Amino acid sequence: MANEEGIDARTAEELLRRFEPVIRFTRGEWFYPVDCEPYVDACSLWVKRPDEDAVCVVPAGELTLERLAQQPEDTTGAVHYLKIPDPKRDENLGRRARRRAQRSHTDPDWPKQTFHAGRGRLARVGYISRLAAALFSLVLLARGRVPGGDVEGGRVLYGRYMEEGERFTYHGNVVRQDGWIVLRYWLFYAFNDWRSNYFGANDHEADWEKIFIYLSESEDGEVRPEWVAYAAHEEAGDDLRRRWDDPELEKVGEHPVAYVCVGSHATRFFRGEYLTELAFPLPRAISAVRRILRRFWYVTLRQYADEDYREKPYEQFTIPFVDYGRGDGLSVGPGQDREWDPPRMMTPVPDWISDYRGLWGLYTQDPFEGEDSPAGPMYNRDKTISREWFDPVGWAGLDKVPTRAEELEVITARRAEIEDRQESLRSELREKSDRLRELGMDAEATRDRSHLSKLHEKGTRDITELSTEVETLREQLSNDEVLARSLEEHAASLKKGERPPAHAHIMHAARPVSEAETHAGRVAQLWASVSIALVLVTLILIIAYERSHLLGALVFAIAVFAFIEASFRRRLTRFIVSVNVALAIVGTLVLLEHFFWSVIVLAVLVVGLYILWENLRELGS
Amino acid sequence: MVGIGVLLYASIDWSTIVDLSNDPGKVRLHTDDKDTVKRFERAVVFTVYFFVPVILLLLSGLGFVLLRRRGWMLASIAQALTMLACLFFYGVSRPWFVYPIIAYSILLILLLNSRSVRAVVHRRRLTPSEARTEIASGE
Repeated sequence: MANEEGIDARTAEELLRRFEPVIRFTRGEWFYPVDCEPYVDACSLWVKRPDEDAVCVVPAGELTLERLAQQPEDTTGAVHYLKIPDPKRDENLGRRARRRAQRSHTDPDWPKQTFHAGRGRLARVGYISRLAAALFSLVLLARGRVPGGDVEGGRVLYGRYMEEGERFTYHGNVVRQDGWIVLRYWLFYAFNDWRSNYFGANDHEADWEKIFIYLSESEDGEVRPEWVAYAAHEEAGDDLRRRWDDPELEKVGEHPVAYVCVGSHATRFFRGEYLTELAFPLPRAISAVRRILRRFWYVTLRQYADEDYREKPYEQFTIPFVDYGRGDGLSVGPGQDREWDPPRMMTPVPDWISDYRGLWGLYTQDPFEGEDSPAGPMYNRDKTISREWFDPVGWAGLDKVPTRAEELEVITARRAEIEDRQESLRSELREKSDRLRELGMDAEATRDRSHLSKLHEKGTRDITELSTEVETLREQLSNDEVLARSLEEHAASLKKGERPPAHAHIMHAARPVSEAETHAGRVAQLWASVSIALVLVTLILIIAYERSHLLGALVFAIAVFAFIEASFRRRLTRFIVSVNVALAIVGTLVLLEHFFWSVIVLAVLVVGLYILWENLRELGS
Repeated sequence: MVGIGVLLYASIDWSTIVDLSNDPGKVRLHTDDKDTVKRFERAVVFTVYFFVPVILLLLSGLGFVLLRRRGWMLASIAQALTMLACLFFYGVSRPWFVYPIIAYSILLILLLNSRSVRAVVHRRRLTPSEARTEIASGE
């Protein structure tokens, strides 16, 4: 459990400022990290109880961080949430902020510039994904979602705040856990406008993102950064973190560099455009069938796979979106376009963090939660304490990794433990081996004596059991010896200053898409934009005018569209393989239809011949 | 397939066919035997449909020797065309020869797409985009 033992506010702030990250934004970003207090001051607080309409419990202008911590009118099942004020209600402020936003396009001193999705956004995904994305947008009409006007509200609110003076602030908190000192940088954005402005998956009011730096402490109190973890969407685990000496980790002095994706504010290690997928689990029955087919295809038939075949614990359906982390916009951090303002310290933990369990923006009641605002740093949307708060080390998969200062100590302790166990195993093994030999003699002495047959049977059973135990003990002993030797070698290499590969812990590195994919040709982009509509129109025309050859015309049309698509996406090989596989399936069905009984007879014959062959081979040997 | 073609042409009773053309450079065939006409038509249609795949298969054989990737691609296209021709024949008249060709094509498609063959002809090039994409669901 993370705690603040031995870390006062001053030390915490010094450490945070010493290693504060450099954040590079994408050109066109509207919302930058700010102090959450002015946001709360401007919002109203609402509560939604089950089967009741939401009610405003603190109107805009009366809310403060202290008031927020009180979480008024709390009852079972109640959801508290903040709401950004409607800009239309305050025309003057709205106009002023809009003027500011307009000026930003021409003002070189102001970072906001028009965002261009660039060529190839649609060209990067296939028909099914495009169709699914279109359906996903349609489903949004039925789901709870953030209304379009809220984005304007967020912009006005943020514009008003920046009007008073540009400030770039993070919220800082430092804790200790399992020998690590964890510097937690919480970045608060007034709005996530990924869907509205950057063709992304969702919008929501307020956005809490985070960057954690893990320090180890030597005996003389010197701290050394060892790992850094960036949050991206709701991921957790080893893939989130990079080692401080990783050559791929970009740094400016002691400050790690992060690339923030426009709109979604997902934080990345590399600049570029990321294909991000929204995942939906498939129904269990479909998932099981798909798994069986995949196994048959890749394992039984040994067919080629683009990636190594891996059994998936669950099958899912994904809708791809693009996360733009180009890093070509404003850079915030030490020595950058803008410097960080003094952080809002969260050490010791303030009440508005620990006592307010509600959402930090509109509660849309979206069943997928993507459009609901996030809770604060300490909580999940369901009011449980978030892992990154109570277990920041485990969140980044570091719970199995000792600090560098502790590595040799851990190895020494582990070897001592193994030696103790080996000693006790050896003694147990000696004892049991002696007993086994005794039983062996008993069995030999009682063999072929009719009056001792029962005793002989029991002795034989005991020997079998004891043999298994002795075998297990020997195996344990042998494994321990190998492990102890490995630990000794590892300790020796650590003493020499050698380190395991920096990427050894990463299973699936999140990397941007390649340059070639990012820059699809104009025709490909045009095709991607019109293809779905063209497919639908073609289908309608075929149904209307070619009913007599419906199946043939549909197959032909689909093949033509698939061929054009594959050509644009440079996937002709995959297209040809898919066509061949489809034809092979149809061919198999034709053969089965025509030769069903012959196939059955042949199969039985083959099995019979195989068994005969095996038996004859055994006879011959 | 060449063998089947030869068999189809051999099954035609050429003695019932007469050349009506007087021009030495032209051929104008005629027969009154309906069965022969049917056999002749089938043999010609077979030639039309399978000529291109056979040529492609010969070229792919050459391609495998010279340029592996092209050879594989030609062989795959030839198999697709062969299967399409078979399915067309199957839909129209269900002649006996489509079944062995379909069976052979299925086996060849599986062989061409098998790991051992693809590993030789398509050396995998790992690009950054092949790395796993992200899974998002909220913030």
